[in-house]
Amino acid sequence: MVEPLFEIPGLFAGRTVGFLLIILIFVLTIYYMSQKKLQYVRRVPALDAIEDAVGRSTEMGKPVICSYGLGGFSYWTIAGLSILGYVAKLCAETDTRLIVPTGGSHDSYIVREAAVDLVRNAYTTAGKAEMFNEEDMPFLSGEQYAYTPAYIGMLVRDKPGTTIMTGSHWSEAMNIAEMSNAVGAITITAGCYTSSMAALACASDYIMLGEEQPAAGAYLSKNPSQLASIRVQDIYKFIAVGMMILGLIAINAGSEIINRLISS
Amino acid sequence: MSAFFKSRSTQLTILVISFLLVFIPYFINIPGLDWFSTKLMTIAAVTNAFTIGIAVYSQYKRSGRFIMERRKGWIYHIYLVLLMIFMIFNGIVFGQHTGGYDWLLKAVVTPLSSVIYGILAFYMASAGARAFRARSPQAALLLIAGLIVLLYQAPLTGSVFPGIEPAATYLTNTFGMSVARMFSISVCIGAIVLGVRMLTGKEVAFLGFGEE
Repeated sequence: MVEPLFEIPGLFAGRTVGFLLIILIFVLTIYYMSQKKLQYVRRVPALDAIEDAVGRSTEMGKPVICSYGLGGFSYWTIAGLSILGYVAKLCAETDTRLIVPTGGSHDSYIVREAAVDLVRNAYTTAGKAEMFNEEDMPFLSGEQYAYTPAYIGMLVRDKPGTTIMTGSHWSEAMNIAEMSNAVGAITITAGCYTSSMAALACASDYIMLGEEQPAAGAYLSKNPSQLASIRVQDIYKFIAVGMMILGLIAINAGSEIINRLISS
Repeated sequence: MSAFFKSRSTQLTILVISFLLVFIPYFINIPGLDWFSTKLMTIAAVTNAFTIGIAVYSQYKRSGRFIMERRKGWIYHIYLVLLMIFMIFNGIVFGQHTGGYDWLLKAVVTPLSSVIYGILAFYMASAGARAFRARSPQAALLLIAGLIVLLYQAPLTGSVFPGIEPAATYLTNTFGMSVARMFSISVCIGAIVLGVRMLTGKEVAFLGFGEE
């Protein structure tokens, strides 16, 4: 256990710097969002490909399958739902059938209700409320490995033009992505499980990595104030890399100052 | 009343209050607030448990429609409904660790899950075979690194090619680990910024709302 560099009365020891860093993220994000100025944001090919992939499905007369993960409410699922909302809007506008497999874990049912509302709202906003069909959002199972064959079965039967798999998909992602590839669908995935990410990248046409998925909602909204919030992620990544380099130098110079600072 | 709870502003207000109740006690020592935080998490767990009940009800309703209208695959829905009744009855009457519930779980669900997990190896192999082609210098580098790590994982490689182990360990423990850590850091930062957008009402998809 490294001795903290400093302590602030009232704050828990070891959590002070974390607290200050989080507060700084909040302040910076709100500052950049209030600027409403279009910041430079690098392209995310996987997110840019969604519109083209849905368009391809429309032209081929095939459905789009889009899942938001199989966990409960986590940041992965929330990011997955943002992408689902965007896909639902595109599908509603282009009269493309959207299939959303739901379930996969015991926590997933609570998310399903939000997903159903989200897709229904997207169709209603596009003025096509009658096109929304809840039967296309089946609850496959509360078990991961029952969800997987059911999902694969849907891929084989419905032969989608596009499969978009976001949110928290774990080991089953590989089975689904590879089968999606086998049925000739454009496969867009998001890696959230470090151990299978490399294999998932091989199976997918496009993959979102790291913070690309949490940033998806802002990126796809194309709203300057939301896009500006992504800027904070880049700033913080530089801070993280800077801290790592400083820590490396300090450790090699025999000082534990950076360790003590982040343990404060 | 229902419209009040379904409104965007009510849901965002509840979200901000819940966030503060969980966030503040983690960092700041305020006696009493910790109690609220624990209670809130218990409420979330109980609500989640209730949704399983809704899931069962919805599944019955959906299967019922399939069976009544004799839609494609209706026979499987009879099977599904019967199994659900069997599992619920056995789970309630005999408990989760004895009787039919336990037997079905150990003799059917677990082996079938293992099969699905097991075939992952073949999917990985086919994806790897398709992707591992040296079309560019970068791809060639990836191919070589992949081959070294793959050979290291294979049985008896250590005795046939003793030099493979240090190379594979180096690749895994330096490049692999540093990339995984950078991935974790970037995801954490992305999640916090996502949280700020949620709290400021910019990101509302998770509440079931679309764009304004």
